[in-house]
Amino acid sequence: MISLYVVLLPVLIALLVLLGRSSAALVRGLAFLGGVGTFALSLFLAGSEGFQGAWLPRMGVNFSLDATGAGPVLVLVAALVMIPTLLVAATRVEQNAAGFVALLLLAQAGLNGIFLSKDLIVFYVFWEATLIPGLLLLGMFGGDKRRQAALKYLVYAVAGSMLMLVSILSLKALSGAASFHITELMIATPSLSAGVQTWLFVGMAIGMVVKLPLWPLHSWLIDLNEQNHPSGAADVLGSLYKVGAFGFFAWALPLLPAGAERVAPYLLALAAVTAVYGALAAISQQHLKRFLAYGSLSHMGIIGVGLFGLHLAGLSGAIYFLAAQMLSTGGLFLVAGMLYHRRRSFMLKDYGGLAKSAPAFAGVSLFLIFAYIGVPGLSNFPGEFMALLGAFQTSPWPAAFATLAVIAAGVYGVNLYQRLFQGPTTVPTSDLSALELYVLVPFIAGVLWLGISPAPQLRQIEQQAALVTIQLERAVDAADEVPTVTLAGLTGGEK
Amino acid sequence: MNDLVQLASLAPLLALAGAVINGLFGRNLKGNAPGIIASLAVAAGFVLSLIAFFGVRAGGAVRVNFGDFLVAGDFKIGLGFHFDQLSVLMMLIITGVGLLIHIYSIGYMHGDDGISRYFAQLNLFVAAMLVLVMADSFPLMFVGWEGVGVCSFLLIGFWYRDLANASAGRKAFIVNRVGDFGFLLAMFLTYKAFGTLDIQAVNAAAPSLAYGAAILTGIGLLYLLAAAGKSAQLPLHTWLPDAMAGPTPVSALIHAATMVTAGVYLIARTGGIFANAPGAAATVVWVAVLTALMAAIVAIGQTDIKKILAWSTISQVGFMVAAVGAGAYWAGIFHVLTHAFFKALLFLGAGSVIHALGGEQDVRKMGGLGRKMRVTGTTSLIATLAIAGVPFLSGYFSKDAILGALLTSMPLGNYGGQILFVLLMLTAGITAFYMFRWYYLVFAGEPRSKAEFERAHESPAVMTVPLSILAVGSVVIGYVGLPAFLAPNAIQEWLAPVMAHVDFEHLSTSAEWLLLIGSVVVAAAGLGLGYWVYALGSGALAKRLGNTPLASASRGAFGFDRLYRSLFTEPGEGLAEGVASLDRDVVDRGMTGLTGVVPLLGRLIVLLQSGYVRAYAFAMVLGVLALAVAAALIGVFA
Repeated sequence: MISLYVVLLPVLIALLVLLGRSSAALVRGLAFLGGVGTFALSLFLAGSEGFQGAWLPRMGVNFSLDATGAGPVLVLVAALVMIPTLLVAATRVEQNAAGFVALLLLAQAGLNGIFLSKDLIVFYVFWEATLIPGLLLLGMFGGDKRRQAALKYLVYAVAGSMLMLVSILSLKALSGAASFHITELMIATPSLSAGVQTWLFVGMAIGMVVKLPLWPLHSWLIDLNEQNHPSGAADVLGSLYKVGAFGFFAWALPLLPAGAERVAPYLLALAAVTAVYGALAAISQQHLKRFLAYGSLSHMGIIGVGLFGLHLAGLSGAIYFLAAQMLSTGGLFLVAGMLYHRRRSFMLKDYGGLAKSAPAFAGVSLFLIFAYIGVPGLSNFPGEFMALLGAFQTSPWPAAFATLAVIAAGVYGVNLYQRLFQGPTTVPTSDLSALELYVLVPFIAGVLWLGISPAPQLRQIEQQAALVTIQLERAVDAADEVPTVTLAGLTGGEK
Repeated sequence: MNDLVQLASLAPLLALAGAVINGLFGRNLKGNAPGIIASLAVAAGFVLSLIAFFGVRAGGAVRVNFGDFLVAGDFKIGLGFHFDQLSVLMMLIITGVGLLIHIYSIGYMHGDDGISRYFAQLNLFVAAMLVLVMADSFPLMFVGWEGVGVCSFLLIGFWYRDLANASAGRKAFIVNRVGDFGFLLAMFLTYKAFGTLDIQAVNAAAPSLAYGAAILTGIGLLYLLAAAGKSAQLPLHTWLPDAMAGPTPVSALIHAATMVTAGVYLIARTGGIFANAPGAAATVVWVAVLTALMAAIVAIGQTDIKKILAWSTISQVGFMVAAVGAGAYWAGIFHVLTHAFFKALLFLGAGSVIHALGGEQDVRKMGGLGRKMRVTGTTSLIATLAIAGVPFLSGYFSKDAILGALLTSMPLGNYGGQILFVLLMLTAGITAFYMFRWYYLVFAGEPRSKAEFERAHESPAVMTVPLSILAVGSVVIGYVGLPAFLAPNAIQEWLAPVMAHVDFEHLSTSAEWLLLIGSVVVAAAGLGLGYWVYALGSGALAKRLGNTPLASASRGAFGFDRLYRSLFTEPGEGLAEGVASLDRDVVDRGMTGLTGVVPLLGRLIVLLQSGYVRAYAFAMVLGVLALAVAAALIGVFA
């Protein structure tokens, strides 16, 4: 039942926040309660009993949530990240903080639904529904060019989702599965021919690639980050909302393995390009949030490389990286917000030498930057390493190419630190306030936790990753069987 | 005994604890407290390393496992340490020399307002370096490997308010990342070849592949790239001279005694691979010998007291890498050991001089300082003689072992071993020459700057005592590796159980003697030439030599920085700019135009002017509902 509660609790708190919007203190209290409460629930999520409820039984849709596999890991890390993010929203948003907090909580509920649903239609509904709070955060709280950014976001997401929906609906109709539940679908879909699987896979992939995102369908992400509220709280959500990789991992790859086998090499190439492209583009950015957006795009490329290498270690690593990147990316977006709070600017040229007057700020930021660029011992390394290593086992060249991003990450990482914190002091800046320190502590703790002790989470992820590889092996075996049978038929007479 | 050895696992944790204390609470610590806390952490690490040393001596290698690090099906990386003859020796060097440098730093950094940050980062370095040598798997080694790179970045840019220092740190980090790229690919390929990343298992399995198999050569070359980054070998050596921007004790510890030898350690540790990939091993030696020769020539033309030593370090590490490439793993590690003493001493001596002169680093403004700084001058002379290869001092024995190895290594024989031997012998002579120049210009002769000479004074005991201890070490430490035909070679025997086997030709005793005498002659020639040019030549000869093309190449360090700037840095920046503008002007616009929906939707906005965002949201809700209905219909009819 906990899997249901982690979806319902944020919704409930969101409603309370909206009701109590007149009192800032109440909003803050509820935001904190919502964050901590969901986190506390998430701690007991893994391995807890799932939830089944009839929804549209005639068409085979059940409201089915389940706490096995990778989902609980993602829910837990997201919940950790949301605590400080809600705190920032409740304190740093001047106008309509209650609305902001409520939207964050609704988005969190939607994300949890995405990560835990075992019914494909339920997954899709959460997938679409989570778009709304993200869009509203941008539209109601964004910068001057929020209209264009919101429009772009919408166009990409809707265009992608349409094709995805067509694939989803055809999947059940064509395979004759008894319901949209993952296990029923997995029994039925292998009967689909490789050709049909390929078409269905492509349909799903377009929607998921947009939300991974991979080059060249990533432009919405950059504008979204740039135009979101300057506190950075909405961008943290953005870093959680890159759910395309999870869609591939949990649905497209295990359901359509024969299609995946055929399409994966192309996606792998796109992902490898994205990894290097994003890192290179980050190097020359002048706007802090665009900088972080491109760096993050590069991470998504590496996640894609891990996924489409179709190797167990790579698949596990990709999803671990997806969870881990929330911490350093989210933390750095909040750091950006804190800088903006001091100087009213996101332009790097307006900063420099801050380490002198704000040493703790510099230290924490550097720590997060090192995590961000994948320094081992910190959170991004295990996933990044396994994603690339796994892909290298099946496809050495694209994986080696993507590994070049490691060098570029070194460049943009130390460049960023140098331009913000080193050199002659520009204008003295106040160091971290107590509140800001509390906000960043969960990120630091999370970065160390996921960096030093990845094995427990990896074991959970592995259960689900193994599903993918098993399905892939079956698909390969099935493909081998057909010619064997035919050959036996042909040669049998001669013997 | 096993349990006691396992206790040494605490060594990196103690250093880490010291770093955390200084890092978090440093601002509340008064006076020398940060330095004392940091030194105690390293001292405890030294004691633990000694325990591990004696434990391994009594009972052989010990492994400790603390559980899993990375897991996914067959892919399993443990979190564990491996204490054997090689790793405990490295631990002793790191914590022993590290302790002396920590103590020296208390004096050198006295009064700096970032002193707790300094000691936090220095302790963090020791922790990472210990993890590097203690790791039982490649990924854990990589944790230490990048960890020391991070600390190096932090400490080079320690005085970050000067952008030049910060940029030197940045350069070091980026060049090292190129090496790390090689390390990562090497691990990926290692896993492909062996299905494991456990170092011992890989070494054991390497001989089961065909001798000289392409995949082994590939792995070896990738590990060489990694080693070249960390150990400042061609073509990745350019960061180390710039790294002298950091505080001088940092140069002594990180950029002379320990971190830059990590590449040597890596190749020795993966001896199983290199011993079975002669092509890769020979490439290692060629790279190393050319590096050693090039850097020695560059050292002659430098005028900064620390940069001369930095180029000398590149050259000396080249000797070590050449040894391990030739398969004489013990000789490479032996030179790591002796070099740790005399090069740390040279740097700390240079630091003492810089400290005395209030920051002056130009050797042209020095001279005669030995008269005012007796301890610094005397200990620096000992170190100079040791590195120059004067008989019976430590550098003599380790350098001779390396030269002999190049001459006799069987696998190297097919790849020009004799040419390599001659080139490295020549380098040894040049070493004696530039080191004489260094010593003479700083400590001997007449003072060239009166003002600087007047200012000079001997450093406090907290600095000179470590100098003296290192000087004693520079004299005696060589006796652990006496030529085997004369006396038992303790270090070779000590390391023998853990080293991969490579065949060497047996030299006759007379040939051995000839080699020993030959290297004495070379050292004497180098020193004598230095004396002739700098002590007797009254400057005229030096000036004339300085006009030769080789001398100007030496001063310009063969133009690598300029070449890389036009070959990598500028095109790289251009590429980054290009990608960014491509993304902005082509991909973004192109995709937006391609969808073609934007203008249509734009018109829609005009219709829905009032609260357009809410309209989107409403549309989305409608959309989801429509989907549910559509799904229901299909469900009914399908």
